[in-house]
Amino acid sequence: MMKGIGKIVVAIFILGSLSFLGYSQENIFYIYQDKNSPSNHFIPSGWMGDYGDLKFNDQSTEEVASGSTSIKITYTAKKSQGQGWAGIYWQSSANNWGFRQSGYDLTGFNKLVFKAKGKEGGEVITKVKVGGIARDPQGNLLPYPDTVDKEYGPIKLTNQWQEFYINLVGEDLSYVNGGFCIVFNADQAQKEQTIYLDDIYFTSDTTLKKEEVKTIFPFYVYADSSSLDNHFVPSGWMPATAAQDLKMYINWKESPLSGDSCIRIEYTNKSGTRWAGIYWQNPPNNWGTIPNAGFDLRGATKLTFWARGERGGEIINEFKVGGISSGDYPDSDSASIGPIQLTKEWKKYEIDLRGKDLSYIIGGFCWATNIDVNDPNGIIFYLDEIKYEE
Amino acid sequence: MKNKDILFKAAIIFSCLIFSPLIISAKVTIQKNSQGGYQLYVDKRPFLIKGVIYNPTPVCSGYDYVFLNDPKKPWLVDGKLMKEMGVNVVRIYSCSSAQWGKIKEFIRDMYNNFGIYTIVSDWIGLWDKPSPNYADRESRERIKMNILKIVKALKDEEGLLMWILGNENNYTFSGKIAFWTSPEIEKIPDLYKRVLKRAEIYYSFVDELAKEIKKIDSNHPVALGNGEVSTLDVASRVCKNIDTLAIISYRGKRFGNLFENIRYAFDKPILISEFGCDSYDAYQNREAEDIQAEYIQLQWKSIFENTIFCGNKRGNCIGGTLFEWSDEWWKYNEGYTPDWCIHNPEAGWSNGSYYFDIKAKDNLNMNEEWFGIVKLLEEKDEKGLNRRVPKKVYYILKDIWTKPFYPPPS
Repeated sequence: MMKGIGKIVVAIFILGSLSFLGYSQENIFYIYQDKNSPSNHFIPSGWMGDYGDLKFNDQSTEEVASGSTSIKITYTAKKSQGQGWAGIYWQSSANNWGFRQSGYDLTGFNKLVFKAKGKEGGEVITKVKVGGIARDPQGNLLPYPDTVDKEYGPIKLTNQWQEFYINLVGEDLSYVNGGFCIVFNADQAQKEQTIYLDDIYFTSDTTLKKEEVKTIFPFYVYADSSSLDNHFVPSGWMPATAAQDLKMYINWKESPLSGDSCIRIEYTNKSGTRWAGIYWQNPPNNWGTIPNAGFDLRGATKLTFWARGERGGEIINEFKVGGISSGDYPDSDSASIGPIQLTKEWKKYEIDLRGKDLSYIIGGFCWATNIDVNDPNGIIFYLDEIKYEE
Repeated sequence: MKNKDILFKAAIIFSCLIFSPLIISAKVTIQKNSQGGYQLYVDKRPFLIKGVIYNPTPVCSGYDYVFLNDPKKPWLVDGKLMKEMGVNVVRIYSCSSAQWGKIKEFIRDMYNNFGIYTIVSDWIGLWDKPSPNYADRESRERIKMNILKIVKALKDEEGLLMWILGNENNYTFSGKIAFWTSPEIEKIPDLYKRVLKRAEIYYSFVDELAKEIKKIDSNHPVALGNGEVSTLDVASRVCKNIDTLAIISYRGKRFGNLFENIRYAFDKPILISEFGCDSYDAYQNREAEDIQAEYIQLQWKSIFENTIFCGNKRGNCIGGTLFEWSDEWWKYNEGYTPDWCIHNPEAGWSNGSYYFDIKAKDNLNMNEEWFGIVKLLEEKDEKGLNRRVPKKVYYILKDIWTKPFYPPPS
């Protein structure tokens, strides 16, 4: 009896160990080949954000890049859960958010490849990722964290199949739980969109070189609502009561400075808090608790933006770059100007960044004001063309 | 008769010279090295400021308590504890020129008994009622007269280290506190340019004070007190007589780019003249000496790493004065005297950099009554002073501050 149990334990141990052996000898490690393919790994179980906005079908036959099926995802951009974004993680075991040791050792691979197309063309995938399940929302390290966190995007699709890849050269793939992740953003999508994915796999490419990360200026916070050049998300509404006091439209079509849209902000003092503000953050709601999230904006000497008031005379106490100082991963510096009294016409403003440490910026832009210096009934103002410049 | 009178006077002067103790102030200088680092010297000896801010308000006393007037002389008890901890400087916030005799006594007691130097600061009228108007000549003259009297009275004290002018007076420029303005400023249409104009007026005044102080006292540096780094670029344009910057900064565990940023904005040696962490967790509603110790230890590490003493040749920091020596029970609800006898757990302001308790109600997490590194008990000692109980951070700093530096300063 004991011998029997011993054999089973050894067998389980060997089977268990196999998942931690390298897979690179085969040179292809599929996440999705075709529905029910025995080569598939990872499970699309990690639904995030406005999960109610997602419709998922992994056996679509409408469009296929190869084989017999593809993955069809429809994103309605309705903000069902009020987040403004939605995403899906393919996890090593169902709903494994880093608490179970079921990840794969993918050492030896250096590339994640996938094919994608839009139903009509023009659909936007905000980003795709490998890894990144490492910390809980409070910033604490999970028991079994991914060793890699690499992303790519945004991607604007055409109505033809195209191959994309995430360069993983130099990344530590010794423990991968979040094998693949796709994220959509309501502001970028603007309306319901349907995309197709096929042939998602890790491979090894000897010709691939390590990516050199270089920031290209101008580096936009906001160009137009649907611009793929936008960085940071206006998620940091302050203080906690701000939802009662603020309305923000990031796709305001009336009289933008340039392009097809600008940002309109309406501020009243309904809550009685007397002040309000918004931080543009990366990623959304990051108050300094998320590691490796800051943009390296060294090289920028100024942040410029355009603003105007609905009537003229509206006062914004402060416009700011950086300055999120909470958490273990705060902004590396801050700079601000203000108070600014807005004019009825668009006017350009500039925050001097010379001498600042811009090596890690999570709070890309911020404004704050209070009711005491403004019309007690509230103010309306507009912003456009917010960007870092060399 | 006339000759006799002269002889008599000469005899008095001579006897005064012979029998009065001869006090020679320390010569305090700051030098910049070829790599941009700054070093403070006291009588040619390299000196790192390991300081605390001292305002030992007893339990049941409030904002009207002036420790210099306390016949129990609390500093004789505190000085002993400070010496054991390795403190070499105390900073006092203000003193009236009418009190200079008592300040002298304090400075001498601290220096002669414990070897501790004193930094004398002045608010430059910040908390006066009515608030000072730095654009107004009369206000300026009144403030100037008071400061110069203090300087004349104290300049020769051996235990005097430095003068600090102002504290966070730059927050008046935008009207956060003690707003002031003038018709000339109000004529400027751009609000931000009004802020810059106030900065220019205020810093010019501070520079004028520094210039006058230097005419009287060439032995001690004059520092410009400033809240954080805001408007220091304006100060750099108008302040030609300022020797060092005394910066108030509460950035949580570290100071980030503060030192490099100041090097760019106004290249002067930096004293972190206020830093620290309270020992109360407003979110969990309990005492938090461990967290206070962790934060202050890291803050000091950040300060030390930016001094020449740690081998950083570009170090532009000359030390820090920690806020503060002992808890002050009066600070919450300061206008309600019965509360002065209660160590209130309520926080008074919010600072996300101290994120351990930022989820407290209304994000109010800074417990002003709990910033001391020494607790006060209601129980009193034989002198009638509240008994002192050092908190955990006292021992952490003691361990750091009483050990020799490595590498030794050159």
